[in-house]
Amino acid sequence: MAEPETGSRDLAALSDRILVERAVDDDVAAFAEIVRRHSPLMRAYIARMLRSQADADDVVQDAFVVAWRQLPTLRDGASVKAWLLRIASREALRVLRRSAKETPFEDWEPSTPESTRPEHVAERNARLTALAAALERLPEAQRRTWLLREAAGLGYSEIAEELDVPVSTVRGNLARARASIMIGMEGWR
Amino acid sequence: MTASNASSDVLDCGRTIQELSEYLEAGRSPRDAEIEQCPECLNALESLSRVSDLSRDLFAADAASLPEPSAGWFGGILDQVAAELRSGRDLPVRHPDPRVRITVAEGAVRTLLRSAADELDGVFIGRTRIIGDVEELGAPVTIDVTASIAWDLDARAVADDVRRRIADVVARHTDLEVAAIDVTIEDVHAPQPRKDAS
Repeated sequence: MAEPETGSRDLAALSDRILVERAVDDDVAAFAEIVRRHSPLMRAYIARMLRSQADADDVVQDAFVVAWRQLPTLRDGASVKAWLLRIASREALRVLRRSAKETPFEDWEPSTPESTRPEHVAERNARLTALAAALERLPEAQRRTWLLREAAGLGYSEIAEELDVPVSTVRGNLARARASIMIGMEGWR
Repeated sequence: MTASNASSDVLDCGRTIQELSEYLEAGRSPRDAEIEQCPECLNALESLSRVSDLSRDLFAADAASLPEPSAGWFGGILDQVAAELRSGRDLPVRHPDPRVRITVAEGAVRTLLRSAADELDGVFIGRTRIIGDVEELGAPVTIDVTASIAWDLDARAVADDVRRRIADVVARHTDLEVAAIDVTIEDVHAPQPRKDAS
């Protein structure tokens, strides 16, 4: 990834809290460091959500612009990661709602973690691949709920609000998703 | 290690995975003594809760093996951001001719103060606040900054250096009437190679 500005390398040592404070004071290089630091997880999570890396990249790009505008309202800079994931989740759900009326997404091949290292890593990768497949088999409502909870770290009431369903539904969907994933992953016992 | 196929969602003790998943989702509360004493159930609960850890591993693995975003993705964000800076209030600057009114944007002054203190080795300014009626010439203001310093530095000495730098820049570049400069060391970071001499 290209260095956005000279001097930004120094900023890599700083905490999220200091970076957010600088970014609120218009330091674009500090914001660039925030983007560099947190965009990989956001892009990966939203790609799972939308089943398209290209669409995910658009969503995450928009999310960062929204985040820049709302940055002065963020009380605690140390929680910027969770805050960014929440903004990106909201943008992604908007895209999903809109596309539900249009055409379905093209086939998307979720990336399967490659085994590059020793055998126990290969075994772990096999488990992750099995998990990814189990996740894909979930009914859409359960899948979204699971991603919001486990990838974005949203609380039950936040998820209920974002999906416009009762908290009891969120809880039920999470329980069903967890059970299905576990059963779907062979050899869990 | 029995291979149970069709009924793999029912344990030998008769409980279903779904039941246990609901129990787990409820925070294992109210406590069900029967479940908590059944080795089979406990084993299944353990596996169920591991699904969360494994999920997080999956997203982390995804993130680590992600293709680079398209060219211009990063720049697209920063261009947009640079177009929406927050300039803040207007700070008046003295001029010998009373008919002339000159102001400098608060954001520009903040950047100036931050850059000046950033030049110190092992120091990065966080937030910069100019508190008081800055739009009124001569009104006393307080400058309040936070900073992150390299952990091998002496906080008191650094705070004094920062204060001096800021006082110097304020006096040279603005007409602010500074009553106090508060420096809060809010964070520490790992020492880095020296900043370029300037």
